[in-house]
Amino acid sequence: MSERILEIRGLNKYFGPTHANKNIDFDLDQGEIRGIIGENGSGKSTLLSQIAGLYGSDSGTMKLNGKPYAPKSPLDANSSGIAMVLQELGVVGGLPAAVNVYLGHTGRFAKGGIVSLKDMAQAAYDECDKWNLPKVDMTERLEGTGIETRKMVELVRALSVDPQILILDEVTQSLSLNNRNRLYELIKRFKEMGRSILLITHDVEEMLEITDTVTVLRDGEVIGTVKSAEVKPEDIRTMMVGRDMSGSYFRDDHTPTYRDEVILKMDNVTSEFGEISDISFEVHAGEILGFCGLSDSGIHTVGEVAYGLTKIRSGKVTLEQQGVEITSATTALNSRAGYVPKDRDNQALMINASIRDNFALPSAKELRGAAGIISGGKVNALSWKMKDKMSVKARNIFQPMNALSGGNKQKVNLGRWLAKDLQLLILDCPTRGVDVGVKAYIYQLMKDAKEQGIAMILISDELTEVLGMSDRLIVMKDGKMKKIIRRDEEFTEHSVIGEMI
Amino acid sequence: MSEKKKKFNITLGDIVPVIAFVVIFIFFAIASKGKLLNAYNMQLLIDQSIQIIILACGMVFVIAQGSIDLSVGVNLGLAAILSTNIAVATGQSWLLFPLAVIIGTLVGVLNGFLVSTLKVPSFMVSIAMLMGIRGLNSYLFTIFSTTQVPKELKWFNNPGVKFTVFIIILVVVFYLLEYSRIGRYSKAIGENEETARNVGIPIKKMKWIVFIISGFMAGVAAIFSLFSVGGTSNQMGAFSEMKTAMAIFFGGILVTGGYSAKFYKFILGSLSITLIVVGLALIGFSATEYSETIEGILLLAILLITILANKRKQKARDEEETLASKIPEKTE
Repeated sequence: MSERILEIRGLNKYFGPTHANKNIDFDLDQGEIRGIIGENGSGKSTLLSQIAGLYGSDSGTMKLNGKPYAPKSPLDANSSGIAMVLQELGVVGGLPAAVNVYLGHTGRFAKGGIVSLKDMAQAAYDECDKWNLPKVDMTERLEGTGIETRKMVELVRALSVDPQILILDEVTQSLSLNNRNRLYELIKRFKEMGRSILLITHDVEEMLEITDTVTVLRDGEVIGTVKSAEVKPEDIRTMMVGRDMSGSYFRDDHTPTYRDEVILKMDNVTSEFGEISDISFEVHAGEILGFCGLSDSGIHTVGEVAYGLTKIRSGKVTLEQQGVEITSATTALNSRAGYVPKDRDNQALMINASIRDNFALPSAKELRGAAGIISGGKVNALSWKMKDKMSVKARNIFQPMNALSGGNKQKVNLGRWLAKDLQLLILDCPTRGVDVGVKAYIYQLMKDAKEQGIAMILISDELTEVLGMSDRLIVMKDGKMKKIIRRDEEFTEHSVIGEMI
Repeated sequence: MSEKKKKFNITLGDIVPVIAFVVIFIFFAIASKGKLLNAYNMQLLIDQSIQIIILACGMVFVIAQGSIDLSVGVNLGLAAILSTNIAVATGQSWLLFPLAVIIGTLVGVLNGFLVSTLKVPSFMVSIAMLMGIRGLNSYLFTIFSTTQVPKELKWFNNPGVKFTVFIIILVVVFYLLEYSRIGRYSKAIGENEETARNVGIPIKKMKWIVFIISGFMAGVAAIFSLFSVGGTSNQMGAFSEMKTAMAIFFGGILVTGGYSAKFYKFILGSLSITLIVVGLALIGFSATEYSETIEGILLLAILLITILANKRKQKARDEEETLASKIPEKTE
């Protein structure tokens, strides 16, 4: 229907002995919204990074608008009209948001050698307005701000170069539902303007909904490109994994099943700064209690409060079996509870430390032997056991975490808790940034944990996930509980969204 | 896929401090025409490194958390001056031992309070303490001037006693750093404080503990220092916080702390640094106007090598093991 904007032929990329991209042929038209999907390590991020000028290529050609295109850096790609929002956070925390937006271009705002932060922030606000994005405070430093704010800043940064091709690597995963919708609108407008988008997401349903076409990669090769309207999610999953994936995903029962013992009870809890108020619920042994809501609904705060990480102004959080009141995360840790935070790389893992030390972190108390000695042998044994049990793909337990792919990182992140004898596990977006295969694996782990009687609090920005796994689902809005829905009641996306908004 | 169930892993960064020590040792052994190896000089080497090792025994916990305690040198001085003078003035000479340790620990408690409860960065806290206590020490010295260690305590200088105490300290610190929750948690805090917090590690308490250990060790070092000098002096502990920090970094422990903080590293680092000082003296650079400059240059050179070795390791790892989906964090 329209002109070809990007043409790639025979692209190859090696990382040492790893052949990350094998003879990639790839075309993109003007106004096309293309999804790229594949398991972790299938080469999709590598391909996009090559297009965005982050990596060079070892052989092959790229043509942009019919002219040879070989960007040497992301700035180079920017000037050719290609901009990318990265999967990993790429902002400088110590700098104000606006400076992050115009990093590398700050000269534009210089007057007599002095850069005007005010002008810069204004330009950033204008950019937000132009694309109807939520306004983040552009004068504030990004240190300590949430992952969503940072993502928005990165998105504005990419948009500020006025790109013809916008590349989004797992952006939606970091956004809550309402901001996702704004992004979808942005994508639509891009299309109307005849511009193109390349995007990666692990959410197959979402991808099929917002893209025109989908290219599936596996092991660095293009498996095929299909029209989004003509395929079903199962087809895509099968193409990605290379085998049939149906039936091994969410729960297939439709009734809540859990034991009578109450594990954790929240009684009229209001958090210190009022992110959540008057929250009361009980979670039982063997129950998966889901939480969903829009970005300011406070669902993530519920998890923090349950683990004693956020102080409370009033109310009470107790572990009913022991009668222990949770007043700090240390109490929770010592009372057989576990917490998997949302931001894996920054909040959960020690990214430069070894797999071994990451696995062993919450088990220090259990690993003590005679005279309180935590022996290296015990730490090793635990780590090898969990590495094998969770089938973490790594050469050995001494490899640093940052050498692992997202899915394997998450396996360590979960495995460190499953190594313990838990009564409560709090999961905040446990499948964020992992591919279908690992996702299915994590759901299976949750089913097993449920079987063992572990109580779970599942907080997620993905509705399909909470609906697929929860016994009961608490819908939240503006820091308050809106509704509790049981699995055997009206348990559909439609009814939940109705409550959220 | 793997050499099954490997028990340990040795990286280039782990070996560099060993190589550095061996190379420096051989260099000075040859350059001093073997003089370094005679019993007297070996004894001197050990005596001189004891103070740094004891200070490092405390500071290493602070550095493991990614913090720093620059007050240990002046703390040593304060503990030495006060404990000796009180012991002499009261006539209860045995008071010197508990007093030195208590004063050192109290300074540690104050540091711990400022860093963990008031959340002031440790660098600033300890620099402020460094300046404040240095002033206090000068003032105290104008009142008391040099005071001899009471004679009846000289039994401490007996190598048997001194080394027994030293070895006990090493064993306890080895246990605390490598095999206890204090050590493991401190390293975790150095790797990523946010992670440690989210897991439920008592961060505030751990910060208190390490500064108290550091202060306690400064008090112990004051005792060793007093007995090796024979009494208080104006220069006691001066610059030793810098030497101690250097020794720890020199041993290959990162400024950011974390799991790089290992027992053998700061011991080797302390020995290497002392070796340079003693070695330079032996080959005739002692107390000349260049000796400190040369020390500085040598330190810089060896630190550079350590850092480059770590970088190469990092690079090799990136190229070899980065999976295809991994993207460098920074785009600019």
